[in-house]
Amino acid sequence: MPDEEELVRLVARGDRAAFEQLYRRTAPWLAVRLRRRCADDQVVAEVMQETYLAVWRAAGGFAGATVNGSAVGWLWTIAARRLVDAFRRRARDTVAPLAEEPVSPAAEDEALSDVVGDEVGVALGRLAPELRQVLQAMVVDGLTVRETATLLGVPEGTVKTRARRARLAMREALS
Amino acid sequence: MTQHASPQLLRRYADSDPTLAADMVWALEVHLESCANCRARLATEASAVAPLVDEIWASIVPDTTPAAVHRTRRLAVWATPAMVPWLAMTALITLIALVADRLVAPPYPSLALLLAPIAPVAGVAAAWARGLDPAHELVAATPRAGLYLVLRRTLAVLVVVIPLMAVATWTSPLRWLLPCLAFTVATLALGGFVGVSRAAVGLVTGWAALVMGPSLVSQRLPSVLEPAALGAWVAVLVAGAVVVRLRATVYTRLAT
Repeated sequence: MPDEEELVRLVARGDRAAFEQLYRRTAPWLAVRLRRRCADDQVVAEVMQETYLAVWRAAGGFAGATVNGSAVGWLWTIAARRLVDAFRRRARDTVAPLAEEPVSPAAEDEALSDVVGDEVGVALGRLAPELRQVLQAMVVDGLTVRETATLLGVPEGTVKTRARRARLAMREALS
Repeated sequence: MTQHASPQLLRRYADSDPTLAADMVWALEVHLESCANCRARLATEASAVAPLVDEIWASIVPDTTPAAVHRTRRLAVWATPAMVPWLAMTALITLIALVADRLVAPPYPSLALLLAPIAPVAGVAAAWARGLDPAHELVAATPRAGLYLVLRRTLAVLVVVIPLMAVATWTSPLRWLLPCLAFTVATLALGGFVGVSRAAVGLVTGWAALVMGPSLVSQRLPSVLEPAALGAWVAVLVAGAVVVRLRATVYTRLAT
């Protein structure tokens, strides 16, 4: 079975069967991940549609270098940017509802986080939700300060402040 | 994360369970990016998004169906439909010349041989002339326009005309091929100054009045088509090619 990188290379040559296979294999994952960041299914559908059309048209430009050669990482980079764009479009009339953040970790998760390991989990759990959101957008999703600001609907300066506060809080918790 | 995600964790992640700890989510998301196995297992857990996934696929499909115009588009780089009637006319005249050659007595000069030099001129004119090609202005505005396109179309004309003439004259190509190419290049070179269609008309008229007419009247093959005149044709060919190359930019703004 070809891996995702191989599929993207086939898609670059206009192979529609490979494109469908790539879609079937990555779309559920992408849909779940996007839905965790945006509660509006319509926006999710829009973003996914744009993402896969971009993949179909720009597969030839997939160099792989920017995301350690991972086609899935590349896919997420495109989707994250499209999500930010969608938020920017919507920001004019309404504030798109962000997926709800947990208020406090359940006891079960505390136990689970010990399995994953460690102080980092505990430190993250103690972090205020708005600081965690900023860290997630910038660290896990790889967005810039400006994109994070658009996604969260706060000014850029606030994102910078929160990122700094989150960093300090994490360092304090880990020391 | 070195071990794979548990089914419970995947299910809670897929259901957007808000009580899932942030570090678990982060670790899982980073792991999912690199693990095809866990992504596939997530897909089986995430039955809630299945309708959404199918719906999005249905909306993508029409935009990714390949357009079926590739072949004609590729052909359009080499020829324009406006060339077809002119090439057909060339073929018809060649055919008439062939028939005429069969009917008249041998001392009479071969009509096909006399026509050979000017045979491609009409096609070349149609390849790059505003008056003959309705789409000329559109084509001239494209990035491909210019000498490159002119030469491609000229080549397309020659590919059709040269085999025709080879059959019609049925003699050594030495006698007609060089004049034929020399006239083609001369049409383009002159066309750079006065427009390709005017150049074509001028050259055809000149050839008919100065060479073909007298030759038909005197019933002798003109001396310019004898093998001794080859040097002169080579000179015309080279001079024409040099002029075309030096004035290459003129074809991007050809008016007529």
